[in-house]
Amino acid sequence: MRRLTDLVPPHVLNFESYVPSRPDEILMRQYGVDRLLRLNNNENALGPPPAAREALAAFPPERSAIYPSGDCFSLRQTLGETFGKAPERFLVGNGSCEVITSVIKAFCQRGDSLVTADKTFAVYEWVAAFSGIDARLVPLKDYALDPQAMLDAVTDRTKIVFVCNPNNPTGSWWNKATLERFLEGLAGRAVVVLDEAYREFVESPDFPDGMEVMERHPNVLVFRTFSKMYGLAGLRVGYLCGDLEAVNIVRRTHLVYSVGSLGQLAAKAALEDGGGHVEATRRMVTQAGGYLRNVFDALGFEHISGAGNFIMARVPMPDTLLYRLLMRQGVMIRTMTGFRFPNWIRVTLAREPEMEAFAKALKQTLDKR
Amino acid sequence: MDTIISLTTPPDIGYVRVLTTAAEILARSHGLDKREEMRFQLAVEEFFTFLAQVVPEHGPIQTVFTGKTYQVCASIRFQGSDLCLGALDASFSATVDGDVEAARDLRLILTGRMADRFRITRENDNAFILHVEVDKVYPPITAASSTVAPRAPFRAGLELDPDRLMHAAALATARYPAWHCPASFQTPGKFADMVGAGQFSCVLALDAASNPAGLLCWTKSGDRGIAFSGPFVFVPPADTPQVARLLTDAFLATVARENVEIVFSERATPDTPDGYFETLGSLTRHSPSGQDEQPVLYRHLREDMGATVWADPALEGFLRGVYDRLAMCRDVLEAHPPASFERTHSLFSTMIDKDKSLAVLKPLLDGSDVAANLAGHVRVLSDKGFTNILLYMDLSHAWEASLAAPVLAAGFKPRLVLPFAGRSDVALFQYAQAD
Repeated sequence: MRRLTDLVPPHVLNFESYVPSRPDEILMRQYGVDRLLRLNNNENALGPPPAAREALAAFPPERSAIYPSGDCFSLRQTLGETFGKAPERFLVGNGSCEVITSVIKAFCQRGDSLVTADKTFAVYEWVAAFSGIDARLVPLKDYALDPQAMLDAVTDRTKIVFVCNPNNPTGSWWNKATLERFLEGLAGRAVVVLDEAYREFVESPDFPDGMEVMERHPNVLVFRTFSKMYGLAGLRVGYLCGDLEAVNIVRRTHLVYSVGSLGQLAAKAALEDGGGHVEATRRMVTQAGGYLRNVFDALGFEHISGAGNFIMARVPMPDTLLYRLLMRQGVMIRTMTGFRFPNWIRVTLAREPEMEAFAKALKQTLDKR
Repeated sequence: MDTIISLTTPPDIGYVRVLTTAAEILARSHGLDKREEMRFQLAVEEFFTFLAQVVPEHGPIQTVFTGKTYQVCASIRFQGSDLCLGALDASFSATVDGDVEAARDLRLILTGRMADRFRITRENDNAFILHVEVDKVYPPITAASSTVAPRAPFRAGLELDPDRLMHAAALATARYPAWHCPASFQTPGKFADMVGAGQFSCVLALDAASNPAGLLCWTKSGDRGIAFSGPFVFVPPADTPQVARLLTDAFLATVARENVEIVFSERATPDTPDGYFETLGSLTRHSPSGQDEQPVLYRHLREDMGATVWADPALEGFLRGVYDRLAMCRDVLEAHPPASFERTHSLFSTMIDKDKSLAVLKPLLDGSDVAANLAGHVRVLSDKGFTNILLYMDLSHAWEASLAAPVLAAGFKPRLVLPFAGRSDVALFQYAQAD
């Protein structure tokens, strides 16, 4: 009899499945704490915008018996109105991870490659790995994506280049000129995914707007999410937008009915909300960033932050050890070894009490060692 | 590429010729000398014959031959938890008193010594695998050719070039005591072949002129661990911390997204940079020149999700202390030895490294003779000059954890816990020599 593993392709068999963190109640029991401050996933501490909250509160429970719109029809209408584009140019997914998978499935087959950075959002590399696609990882240069090295990594088998802009976890970003030079250098040889999960946190006028760039470069697909700025991470809504021809190709490999009704309603309401939520979040992030930079400076820690609601710091011990020590005080940070930044941590920028609690726990941990 | 031959045969000595022919062809095709070819053939023949005699009612025997560039091995899988397999583990203590069984055991002992290594592992309740390995013979190390002192700037990355690897192994052997080095550094050609075969991975630090500045190598250990050796640094002292850190960063970046939970080292060099690893504890290293403490280093590659372990009351206090010091969340369940054992004969696997006077025991089966069996192992290993005797206990198995009391009674001391070195954590005991 064949073993089950004999039926599995090697690229799946050898893949390390991602193990997400356990639910709060289990973690609190394990670490013996009665509260847990989640500063590990770059969630928005302010939660969703008021209009989204109202939409969620108004959702009639009996609607749960009805399937959602299979292609997020109304949400795409609102996205089209918001960005001045045809709704057909948007595909909505169960978080941007699903959209990443759809794009790789649409453009890549065995033997093809994609290009991305070695220290960036890991899901591009993971999906490539368990799909049997070669991920060519280009080292960062000065903690930023290196456009020339990424161009040099492109071969005739490269189908997609993933550019996380701003980059998670370093917060670095390409400005308009850098992106334009990169796209001209690539000359349409591959699809370029501009992952703009954190773009709403950027205020600089020199930050390139992917929605505008795609009009000049039909090989550009833009990813955005409602999980970060819009505080809807628990509902998992992300989307892509691009040239209609490219989107129609991705549509073939994209699941329908994968986004629930609540997520669609809340995301639509979040788009229609005024700018107050965005402004408040930006103020919070700016204040928290300044506070933590001072904390790390006082401790003599190297730190990196740019755009986005997170900051990285290099700590004088294994990041995985600091994680456990902070968890004992009810503070959860993200270890960065898995991002290939050993001994670095990433901390979500949140409200003042949360930042103070983190700083206090960090200092207590260091004092004890 | 490895050559793999799999044969499933009845436990009938009539098939032994098929197996020895396969062994002969494999050894010859992989370039082993005639002497090694004969040793491999004889070891396979004797082990198969032994098993055919003691497991005739227990179904087929599966033999998987694997030919690597540096080694041939046979893995002989058989059923038989209720068998008396004492000869397979207490192979040092058998005595011939004239009866047939003892003579057979003695023959097996001699067979074991024909192989470079033999060990037994337990696959499940009833299935065991006997592993027999014979190495290709390589020329021994020669003094490393003198090189110019490497100068900054340095870079580090994965290395596969055999010449560079052999040179780096020779440099490491010249600069560091043997305890810190993998045994294959003594035969650098073998080391390079092992890297080529994927048994080892390496990062090498180079200067601008590609002179080797440092080396760090690692190998998979168990399902979820990586054991590393190094960092070995070949630059002047002022540059040593920089190169050590470069090697360590390159190592961790390489393995960060691999299918493992932890990295650890029982022989890390003193050049290991501060702040990268946690100290789990230490092992006492006995050598002809005396004894000293070797720290055991470790780090997780991702957040610790916790685990469940079994603990005998005799070990529970030690374990809770360790987990508290390391801030690891563990559900500790109580394991008690059974009122009576189903089996009379316990079974331990024994791995030995003569160069380091090191013997490592692992429980495979419990039994009512466990205390006497352990005492016998210790006595015979000590008589043979093995001054470093370790015992690994997988705490994910209640039956194994419940052996703590006889293990302690046999003179072993708990030294540390290796997280996720087994299905969950592994407690590491060391036999405490009487001074």
